Amino acid sequence: MKKECVAMLLAGGQGSRLKALTRHVAKPAVPFGGKYRIIDFPLSNCVNSGIDTVGVLTQYRPLELNSYIGNGQPWDLDRSDGGVHILPPYLGENEQGSWYKGTANAIFQNINFIDQYDPDYVLILSGDHIYKMDYADMLAQHKRTGADLTIAVQEVSMEEATRMGIMNCDEEGRVYEFEEKPAKPKSNLASMGIYIFTWSKLRKYLIADEKDPDSSNDFGKNIIPTMLQKKESLHVYRFAGYWRDVGTIDSLWEANMDMLDVDSGVHLFDEDWPILARTPIQPPHCVGAEGKIIDSLVTGGCLVDGEVERSVLFHSVTVEPGASVRYSILMPGAVVKAGAKINYSIIAEGAVIESGAVVGAVPEKDGPLNIAVVASDIKVGKNATVAPAAMVTKNVKEGGKA
Amino acid sequence: MNNLHGLVFAYRSSKDLRELTQHRNTCSIPFGGRYRLVDFALSSMVNAGITDIGLIVHSSYQSLLDHVGSGKDWDLSRKHGGLRILPPFGYASATASDYFGRMDSLAGIRSYLEDIRQDYVILMGGDLAANLPIKQIFEAHRKTKADITTVVTCQNVGEPRSCTYLSSDPDGRVTDVFVHPKSPMGCESLEVYILSKQLLLSLVDHCATHNIHSFSEGVILAMKDRLHIHTYEFEGYVGRFHTVGGYFEHSMDLLDPAVRASVFDPSLPIKTKDHSNPSTYYGPEAKTSNSLIADGCKIEGEVDHCIIFRGVTVEKGARLSHCVLMQGTHVGANATLQYAIADKNVHINPGRMLMGHESYPIAIAKDSKV
Repeated sequence: MKKECVAMLLAGGQGSRLKALTRHVAKPAVPFGGKYRIIDFPLSNCVNSGIDTVGVLTQYRPLELNSYIGNGQPWDLDRSDGGVHILPPYLGENEQGSWYKGTANAIFQNINFIDQYDPDYVLILSGDHIYKMDYADMLAQHKRTGADLTIAVQEVSMEEATRMGIMNCDEEGRVYEFEEKPAKPKSNLASMGIYIFTWSKLRKYLIADEKDPDSSNDFGKNIIPTMLQKKESLHVYRFAGYWRDVGTIDSLWEANMDMLDVDSGVHLFDEDWPILARTPIQPPHCVGAEGKIIDSLVTGGCLVDGEVERSVLFHSVTVEPGASVRYSILMPGAVVKAGAKINYSIIAEGAVIESGAVVGAVPEKDGPLNIAVVASDIKVGKNATVAPAAMVTKNVKEGGKA
Repeated sequence: MNNLHGLVFAYRSSKDLRELTQHRNTCSIPFGGRYRLVDFALSSMVNAGITDIGLIVHSSYQSLLDHVGSGKDWDLSRKHGGLRILPPFGYASATASDYFGRMDSLAGIRSYLEDIRQDYVILMGGDLAANLPIKQIFEAHRKTKADITTVVTCQNVGEPRSCTYLSSDPDGRVTDVFVHPKSPMGCESLEVYILSKQLLLSLVDHCATHNIHSFSEGVILAMKDRLHIHTYEFEGYVGRFHTVGGYFEHSMDLLDPAVRASVFDPSLPIKTKDHSNPSTYYGPEAKTSNSLIADGCKIEGEVDHCIIFRGVTVEKGARLSHCVLMQGTHVGANATLQYAIADKNVHINPGRMLMGHESYPIAIAKDSKV
């Protein structure tokens, strides 16, 4: 059946800058904010914006992401018409199949999927940003301006602008120039990696781009510059709300800490724009006689008998008596045994910190954060020490150092 | 194990539950921070591999329908079988305010019973907070070749005046039955029964023609010598809800790790309606101990020995001890609450003080403003 707009969510990125956290899962499946995974944000935005057909393009370590999305039920995307579809790279008859070479190639390889719905517009999203956005409003602007491509942008500082894709546009929002990581930015409007294309136009450019052997088949590097060169109509959509790229350990940690300011940031408690997630069934969390929790987020199934301050605890985390957890993120099932001390760290799923161990440290004032990361299912032995900024991917022996 | 069919009695409202049953029947009373009582029966059945469940309702079941929906959250939304809601249909008692007893309600759904695909049926009240190992109980039923297996607990958990007690011989066969005595006598029947579909149908017909309404009296007591009735002792935790005081006690029981281990056995998860709440936020001045707290709350005050449901707000300076706060309760700044049960969406204004006693906890009705 025809759909006005189909969303394509690029979820194949390896997320190598998240190091130990993406050993077994793709970046969009990394846990975030106590109850969610990163991909829940764009997926929930789609549903809340009235988009009911979403293709999720997977490639790197897709198993956990595939089972997480499943039939899309938690997002009400289990539809008889449309719904959520996982789209891995595939082989056709007499075709040389390949991995997705770039973001544009990933969409190119799924032209047939999009054509099934005969959409007027295609929304391109990436799976590594934390934000709440009404795509319906962006689509309304796209239709109003009659643009061929609308790019969501956000104002950033001039210093940040040197690290991002910058859109230079006139007063009406028409883009005349696109600069990737400019040394001397002319504007501070950074692309958020959210695009709405008029499908007939994009289809044409994807096919042409695929024929160019020198192209790296990427939206930012190839498709957008080519469209600009051919004088297509490109507009910016200004977005002023909370938006964070969580592609690095520091930015992931900081965005999690932002969630502790519950009435700002993405307003997790705002029921009008809920972020939906697939969550396992857990009883309420329990705070014991010696438990002390301040300025933190705590989720179902947790058992807290120690001290927790300015931290995010995912479901089924245990903090034993005498243990302390400060300025840290404890992913599902992490265990902190008696007397262990955690500071400025990310403890991944199922990792166990044995009693008396010390992980991370309070950073120096104005110094780097030096977040320590303990990878999933790793055991840090009794009285062991994990230094600030360490990436622990092997078990640490009793009394050992990492 | 697909040869067992589940029937849940979800109609009875105990009168001593005051405010708690003003807007709902006993099966949809919120319990344990995020559940409704009916979740325990539904989950125990689903965890035993039961795929077809009938929920027998009579009146005041809007809140129950709201909660179970299509049965999706228990994986009971199926093309074949799954969850069926069974309101009264074209039967004499349909116009009465409630069924007179379980046999009466079963007679009301006689045609449904005939269409059951399975050979065996488990009958269970929807107001029992227990994680029953139905798989093992069913195995025991087939091993003993009993006509009826009934589940008992030898810890006394209910009000004797509302309970049935059984005594049995060393082999477990029921020898005597005591209905609603003054004080406990023998082991307490949980009124959970497994029997064959054929036997159930013949009992329903027998009772209908003899004007017998109660299962305990009309079947267990009257036929204990004619039928082989076997007991199965359940040693885990059981919560039964006959009074507000009992509700409060059972709620506080959950603060005991041993009780939680029995009720929330991770291998037999209790499922419930999913609400998509965020995690619970604790403010910089929060002070919490010995409490069970569900997701989606904002806790900025002091909380001790409390059961807090989803989406509750406790403002700064508020002090709560020994309280049960149901979904959406709002406690204003500097309010003090002790031994209180606040039903859904109760709003306590700043500075208010409400104190019940351990022996008589106060219950505040749904949607009230204090």
